[in-house]
Amino acid sequence: MHRFLVLLASVLLAAPAWAQTVTFGASVQVTGPVANTGRYYKDAYEFAVDKINAAGGVKIGTEQRKIALKILDNQSDVNLSVRQYVQLLAQDKVNFLLGPFASNFVLADSSIAEKSRVPMVQGGGASDQIYSRGYRYIFGTLPAASDYFGSTIEAMTKLTPRPQTVALLYADDAFDVSVAKGTRGALERAGLKTVIDARYSTNASDFSALLSRIKSGKIDAVLVAGHETEVLNFIRQAKSLDVSPKLYSFTVGVPSADFRQALGADANGASGMSAWLPTAALKDRWFGDAEAFARAWKAKFGYEPDYHAASGVATVEALVNAIEAAGSIDAQKVRDTLAKSSFDSVYGHVAFNDKGQISMPQTMIQIQNDKVVPIFAAGRFINKLDYPLGPWGDR
Amino acid sequence: MKRAGAAQRLPEPPEGEPGARGAATRAARRTALALAVAALAALPWIGNTVLVQFGISVLLLATLAQGWNIIGGYTGYPSFGNSVFYGLGAYGVAIAMVQYELPFWVGMLLGLGLGVAFAGLLGLAVLRLKGHHFAICTLGLALVMTAIVSNLEIAGGNIGLVLPLLRSEVLFYELALGLAVLATLTVLWLSRSRFGLGLIAIRENEEGAAVMGVNTTFYKVIAFMLSAAFTALAGGIYAYHITYIDPVGVFDVVLNVKMIIMAVFGGPGSVLGPVVGALILSATAEVLAARLTGAASLFFGIVIVVAVVFMPRGIAHLVRHIGPAGWRYFIDNVRTHRL
Repeated sequence: MHRFLVLLASVLLAAPAWAQTVTFGASVQVTGPVANTGRYYKDAYEFAVDKINAAGGVKIGTEQRKIALKILDNQSDVNLSVRQYVQLLAQDKVNFLLGPFASNFVLADSSIAEKSRVPMVQGGGASDQIYSRGYRYIFGTLPAASDYFGSTIEAMTKLTPRPQTVALLYADDAFDVSVAKGTRGALERAGLKTVIDARYSTNASDFSALLSRIKSGKIDAVLVAGHETEVLNFIRQAKSLDVSPKLYSFTVGVPSADFRQALGADANGASGMSAWLPTAALKDRWFGDAEAFARAWKAKFGYEPDYHAASGVATVEALVNAIEAAGSIDAQKVRDTLAKSSFDSVYGHVAFNDKGQISMPQTMIQIQNDKVVPIFAAGRFINKLDYPLGPWGDR
Repeated sequence: MKRAGAAQRLPEPPEGEPGARGAATRAARRTALALAVAALAALPWIGNTVLVQFGISVLLLATLAQGWNIIGGYTGYPSFGNSVFYGLGAYGVAIAMVQYELPFWVGMLLGLGLGVAFAGLLGLAVLRLKGHHFAICTLGLALVMTAIVSNLEIAGGNIGLVLPLLRSEVLFYELALGLAVLATLTVLWLSRSRFGLGLIAIRENEEGAAVMGVNTTFYKVIAFMLSAAFTALAGGIYAYHITYIDPVGVFDVVLNVKMIIMAVFGGPGSVLGPVVGALILSATAEVLAARLTGAASLFFGIVIVVAVVFMPRGIAHLVRHIGPAGWRYFIDNVRTHRL
């Protein structure tokens, strides 16, 4: 009897400890056309929450609370995702929101967070529009689209011989138009002359006309903001038409293994950028460092994490840090501590500007000997850029 | 669309029952509908936010299905261009509110004007085509519009426009409800007016209608504009509610397919069919999405296939004709259409 009472008492005492959780909710693209990248966010949220819970969870004042995660599948449908965020707040009573993938989803979904005055931290939308609305409850961990070529342009001004003429090519979708807009200004400020400034339609497969213009104009540097298949076509056609600018850089493709596999040796020399590289220099409270994080991720999910994955993990960490700093799960207090976030993570240093967006420089990278090599970041060269690129025949 | 011959196989009950009993039934039906609308209007105060959010979505879809019903169900022209009117309505509101800082209702008028004017001009040109030719011709419109709007500075180009935030879900709900009721009342008027009968005559036999003195071109264009009016208004409410629109999102052919499925599922050429169709299909999709995420679209597809095989003339026809036939109604349908 006595033992039973002790057991009962301990159960009663223990009960509040596991009943009290902090719930994060998100609606992500697990199925549908954008599920390929959308899934990274589901994996990232689960991976981060499991790791943080294994380390005891989130500390609020003196008590440790576990994090519960509620993820819904929006089937890549914007309207459904908006309703799901309403459901998460009204029905599932989640405390805080994590974001979906892609700018158009974030633009629509963040209005629910703003309406309900509950903070949403998102790692899937980079469009400058998300932060131009004066919203106070949206925070993002992807750097601004307009700054994608920032590090590349800075590196270009420090090259010898300095490139004289630039061609800027971009696809006609929202994100790439934003990239081009920012790049145009940065090129002008850097004193580089943009000779060709051309927009092409998304999914274009024939670049021969543009390549001929680049060849006849003897353009030194070519910057392309587009999609992976377009970039693949561009490089293949550049080779067959023997167009060899001294430097060319692309917003997508270069960091991914598929890209190098598709082009083989022809991928060498292509430059690009990444907001994130899994290096041991990036220290993290839960994962140790980014290298260990990438290994653990690969072991668990069977694929290598890219910047989407790291960005998704950073959003969870930002919320946890903000809750601990606030010592409360009050939405207002956590919003205010989120705004003051400043911590190191597997993704990099997380701090938001007054609009809620992270400020994070892109690292310029280049494929050399079939490997991705970091070239330029934070105002200095890390490795030597293969520059100027020789004609295709000599490579 | 033309199922006139097939429809003869099933006995048609008399439309209005003569005498006092018929009048009483009609009065009772009218009261029931008025009560249903009143209950729907009170929903934000009874139900929760999730239900209100779902309600906004269903009511807008019901309006779209009803709008399609006018041109597709009554007139017999399967339009794939209605999503263009929707997009124009959405952009009317967005451009007025964002670029000129005008109030919402001015934007609605602008969207309405854009949608109706476009339908009028377009109708004069493409309503000469029939059946598949008309469908294919209108199918291309959404793509053309996406390309045009993507290059318009005033519409924010392909980046789209961000609208101001309004913290009142109830207002959006009541607006959507009002519009759906208005659309349904218009269709009710169509079903018993000379104009509506003219449209039905066009659907059943256009040459015959012309011979009987129906000005077919005029009737068709007006029906197209009426359809565009409701569709554009729904687009306007959507834009303000979702707070962000871009060309690919609002000129969406998939949305047009949804309108058609809902109208056809409910019963094209009926008054309440499209509304019921929108409600049942949206609820099914929502439940499936919540229960079995991955296979949801698959099951949704199966629901539609089964519905079309067993009740190709929609719920409205099913309700009216199932009566004594019972399950044989479905067998008859399968047999009639030689499936």
